[in-house]
Amino acid sequence: MASSQHVLLSPAELAYLHASLSLTPPIRPDGRSPTQFRPLVAETGILPGTNGSARICFADGTEAIVGVKAEVERTRTRHDFPSLDEGAEGDDDDLEDNQHDVVKGDNDWVEMTVEIPGYRDDDAGTVFLSAMLSEALLADGEFTKRLWINRRFHWKLYLDILLISPPLSYPLPLLSLTTHLALLATRLPRLKSEGDEDPLFDDDWAAAAYLYPRPAAKKGSKKTTSFATPTARPPVTLLVMAVGNNIIFDPSKEELAVADVALAVSVGESSNPSSSTAMDIETEETKGHHNLRILSVRTIDPPSRLTPPGIPNASNSAYGANAAGAKDTEKKKQQQEQARTAESEAVEGVWKAPRGGAKPLVLAALVQKVLEKGGVADEVLDALDGVDLN
Amino acid sequence: MPITILPPKAFREPPRNLHHDSDDVMSDASSDSEDSDSQPGGVSLDSGETIHPRKRRSAATTSGSTFTKRPKTANITSSISVPRSAIVTPGERITTDPQWMRGHGTYLSSATLGEQAITSSLAGIVTRTNKLLSVRPLRARYTPEVGDLVVGRIVEVQAKRWRVDVGSTQLAALPLSAINLPGGILRKRTETDELQIRTFFAEGDLVVAEVQQLFQDGGAVLHTRSLKYGKLRNGVFMAVSGTGGGSGVVRSRRQVWTLESANNGGPIDVILGVNGYVWISKHVDPVIPEEAKNQQTGITNLEEVVSATMYSSQNDRIEPETMREIARIRGVVTALVENGLRVDEDMVTKGYNEAVEMALVSEGGPEDVYLGGERGEQLAAALTGRLA
Repeated sequence: MASSQHVLLSPAELAYLHASLSLTPPIRPDGRSPTQFRPLVAETGILPGTNGSARICFADGTEAIVGVKAEVERTRTRHDFPSLDEGAEGDDDDLEDNQHDVVKGDNDWVEMTVEIPGYRDDDAGTVFLSAMLSEALLADGEFTKRLWINRRFHWKLYLDILLISPPLSYPLPLLSLTTHLALLATRLPRLKSEGDEDPLFDDDWAAAAYLYPRPAAKKGSKKTTSFATPTARPPVTLLVMAVGNNIIFDPSKEELAVADVALAVSVGESSNPSSSTAMDIETEETKGHHNLRILSVRTIDPPSRLTPPGIPNASNSAYGANAAGAKDTEKKKQQQEQARTAESEAVEGVWKAPRGGAKPLVLAALVQKVLEKGGVADEVLDALDGVDLN
Repeated sequence: MPITILPPKAFREPPRNLHHDSDDVMSDASSDSEDSDSQPGGVSLDSGETIHPRKRRSAATTSGSTFTKRPKTANITSSISVPRSAIVTPGERITTDPQWMRGHGTYLSSATLGEQAITSSLAGIVTRTNKLLSVRPLRARYTPEVGDLVVGRIVEVQAKRWRVDVGSTQLAALPLSAINLPGGILRKRTETDELQIRTFFAEGDLVVAEVQQLFQDGGAVLHTRSLKYGKLRNGVFMAVSGTGGGSGVVRSRRQVWTLESANNGGPIDVILGVNGYVWISKHVDPVIPEEAKNQQTGITNLEEVVSATMYSSQNDRIEPETMREIARIRGVVTALVENGLRVDEDMVTKGYNEAVEMALVSEGGPEDVYLGGERGEQLAAALTGRLA
């Protein structure tokens, strides 16, 4: 799918980056460990006019803000589901059943816009980003259920995702983390009316309920909450890439430029309480872990495929003896031979764009690494828990 | 811990201007009278510093200067209350008093009743030198000067020249006639050279060059007519341009030097382009091919040989230890820039030694080269403590 913006790097740089990232352990240009994210600054509740908002800022100055606005909207009656209206008027047993079934959402209830400075709204990259973020949110159909008010009304949620700095790296992880925080901080006014009457809300903002209800215990007792009441959370989308057999998280622009494979993995927390408790009992010693599951996986076309290859010295006409003008034809012929092999085979220290698809084993390892218990996604969710919501 | 999330930092005050401290005609006169219009109206960007009585520079009637009032926007009220160093934005009037002369970053506008007002054309801090008012930008692009050593990236190849990105407002030009031909041959550039212009430099290639000449509009013409200059390889690039206020790369005695690295890293070349582009690479002694060795190698001959390898885009073999130390130096430079310190030979060398020591005591051992976030701040604190 749509790739990130084109980065202009010289073949020598690409070769160096690729070589250093292929080492075991890889040496990243900024010295991070393979699973380490860039340090970031996060805060919530920055926009007073929204139902929930968040801002995340990387040390390099990349910054994103997300605002969530909710609006009451009349639900369109569906004609293809006659049971919705007619079935409800039937006998009481059906009504009871319907009350459970009827809490269902529609993907139209969420509208997401992504804005990246310097890019048009309908730019393929922007559209892809927004599709990827909304896909993760809507994938399991649980999210839109939270927007249900009654059978006639629902909340319409507008998510405005703004990158307010130029995109210094592929902004997906940043936008996803910010959206996650904004949704965690989102509160909806408390409903006072009952049943299917026109909704009436509590004026008191203090009484407003979180869209994602927080565990009753506040922080400090994080350990108990995480496995006693598994709370559902918005998804996070992580950008993972592989160079050789090394798996690298949160790649910077330069790193992404030499990636063999890049994946956007959306991870959510399973809200199935029965299975989660069972698993919690099994692995109680690994405390603080989440019951993770994959919501979506997308491959990102790494810009590495579009990079020009480096020219090995053997076929470089401006290099060494070639340039000085090798006079005798015998030598020239020999050099041409060398050049031909250099073109078809990899030469150390010369950049060559990756060819072919991703190896299934590498893809599996990428996903495995994300989902691992106590792995990266776990720790990211834990760290996001620590952000003060206000 | 793969991720560290920090709480937002308080607004950092822009570097204080020296001239303000010596001369307070305009800033202090109105310390108490002007509180009324600067009541906080919303989000405050400041932390503790604003609690001072407001020393606004508006309407200093006693001294005769009439600094115009700002619009009461919420964000701005907090930033102007930074004592004595106000941030102005483009189009903002600084003064209408004719006693002041306009300097860099300002222009005269006659919007109101034929009155000439000095207006800021930049976002920056007002500086005064006697009666000269100028605005120092918070962030600025590089302004080339003749003789500057710059690192640039080729972005465009034209018939007889390359266009090079040097972080300036315009692309610099590198004419085909201003490069060394491989083998050090001295001759007129022919059509053949023009046709194979991409064999010398292609799009994306990094060059280190010198500013030879300036155009009237500020555009630069570069040259690489020295063995020190040319294509870059065996290392990493980083851009720390556009940082105003005393940080970033500053012009200094030596922009290029070789650092003897710790942990068996071997010698490492550091090139600090004046334009804020930095190149850190493995130091490679010029290799003399076998054929050249057989011939007599005079000084002139050596030059030929060295320049013959000038246009290679193939990296030499680089040991992991060297790569690690290169990453460490890169981390040091990033930490310096992020903490608002200047980047020059002295600071980088000291910072590197400090970083090596820091790594020894860190849990990752000497192989731990990470210098982001808190470690960068630690490093900066250690450096400023030592220098002070």
